[in-house]
Amino acid sequence: MKKFITIVKAFWQRALTYRLTVLAYRIGEIGETLVLILMWSAIYDGQKVIGGLTLQEMITYILIGNFFNAIIRNFLSSVVARDIKDGRLSMFLVKPMSYFNYILSQEIGRISLATMMSVLSSALVIVFFIDTFIWSFDIAYFLVIIAMVILAFITELLLSYLIGLIAFWTDEVDGIYATIDRIKKFFSGGYFPINILPLMFVQISFALPFSYSFFVPAQLYLKKLDLSVGLKGLLIQIVWIAILYGIIKVVWNRGLKRYEGVGI
Amino acid sequence: MADIEVKNLSRTYEYYRKQQGLLGSLKSLFYREKLFAEAVKNISFSIESGELIGFLGPNGAGKTTTLKMLSGILHPTGGQVKVLGHIPTEREKKYQKQFALVMGHKNQLIQDLPAIETFIVNKEIYEISDKEFEENLNELVELFGIKDILDIQVRKLSLGQRMKCELVAALLHKPKVLFLDEPTIGLDVVAQKNIRDFIKKYNREKKTTIILTSHYMEDIKELCERVIIINLGKIIYDGKLDDLIKKYATHKLLKVVFNGNGVQQEEVERFGEIDEFNPYICTIKTKRNEAKNTAIALLSSNLPVDDIIIDEIDVDDVIRQIFNS
Repeated sequence: MKKFITIVKAFWQRALTYRLTVLAYRIGEIGETLVLILMWSAIYDGQKVIGGLTLQEMITYILIGNFFNAIIRNFLSSVVARDIKDGRLSMFLVKPMSYFNYILSQEIGRISLATMMSVLSSALVIVFFIDTFIWSFDIAYFLVIIAMVILAFITELLLSYLIGLIAFWTDEVDGIYATIDRIKKFFSGGYFPINILPLMFVQISFALPFSYSFFVPAQLYLKKLDLSVGLKGLLIQIVWIAILYGIIKVVWNRGLKRYEGVGI
Repeated sequence: MADIEVKNLSRTYEYYRKQQGLLGSLKSLFYREKLFAEAVKNISFSIESGELIGFLGPNGAGKTTTLKMLSGILHPTGGQVKVLGHIPTEREKKYQKQFALVMGHKNQLIQDLPAIETFIVNKEIYEISDKEFEENLNELVELFGIKDILDIQVRKLSLGQRMKCELVAALLHKPKVLFLDEPTIGLDVVAQKNIRDFIKKYNREKKTTIILTSHYMEDIKELCERVIIINLGKIIYDGKLDDLIKKYATHKLLKVVFNGNGVQQEEVERFGEIDEFNPYICTIKTKRNEAKNTAIALLSSNLPVDDIIIDEIDVDDVIRQIFNS
């Protein structure tokens, strides 16, 4: 645990060194949220309800969803891929700590400042739309949402790590990452609420882990989904975490063999 | 028991040939010519505790590959390695806490933070106690004289300063075995000397077993009593550096200084092969066992000899000769 905290602290400091970069990213994020709100306001022109949401609900959906998303995402895959490509992984392999534990601690340290700033800037946008934003608080929903966001954070971390590991075979993962990122955003409901599409899409997205980082917690917040759907979601997330962890183990072992050149 | 035991170690790499140009790239999508390179071929050696060994060889000789196998990064394709009684590729924590690897062109320091932060991270990773950490750090910092750069971002440091910090980071856990892969690469002469002096002192005081690879003969000459020369994946010499010269340097150099009007080249040619000539200083190459007699003959001749120095052929030349042959 002390190892973890020390590494997190070190990379916290690194983030503080690059505070301007951290800040600059936030401007883009706020911009994106505003564009989405603008777009939906134009689409709603005259219409009362789309996808079961009023304009006010839709704006709340975008704001709260982006708020969750700010907590959940990470940028681990490029870090892992670079370590593998440049051979820096060697420096970790000789140390008495697993790369998985090290790099996860590092990423949590690296992004925690950015995450806090994101949360802050998302909160600021919410304040800006204070008149439109729907406030809703229910302790049961609240707890489920918190659990869901934490699990979504872990899922994302594992997924990014897994994508990074592909570098054992391809050296570069930017293309794969970009594609998966878009698929993820689509199924998560980050572009638009997934339920405006045919039911099949909703069913697929509920089976995948992505909707639990945006659509489901946002809909739960709006109480458009039943609490039971939330609880079932938590279960699906746990299953996904187990699956991802298993795949990571296999991919890591095979990739490492390639890196070490076993069986050549 | 020896610290490092290497028996019949081999390592083959797989690689591909790609034909030139875009068409070649397209072809390689469907068919690639698979080739094998034997980086290390059936080498054996053993190193006793406290030894400082120089690992010599041209680029691509297999030095780094061997070090990687000793540190457990690479799996051998054949043979066995044992370091401190452990098989490196098993990556036991117990073994990892007892050795360190420093590579001249790879870094472990966190580039965007001062070196001290990496030291603190390493302290936790290697589970070094507060007291031990403080003692080791102070000692190393003192030895290198780097107290005033510990709080400067690593990327702002000079290459020499960075290398010193890399070494500190690698030595905090007091490794028993240390692999140094070209630690002086790219450094200026002063920084090279600093690192060299440090390695020498550290080996003497801590009795750490060290394998050093370097392209700079100065490093080897000054630090290593024993050298292992490797070329094309094979060991071609393993023994004392002094013996190497005796074995391979069949000649000695006589440096003769003349006074007065100097001499003509024809006048000295009968004493041996002329290596360098000007009327006042002349270097004559003679067989080892004839060096003394040649010197006497020179002194008793009527040439205006002022001074004679009998010298070994430079070790650089010896090694160049070995690699070329």
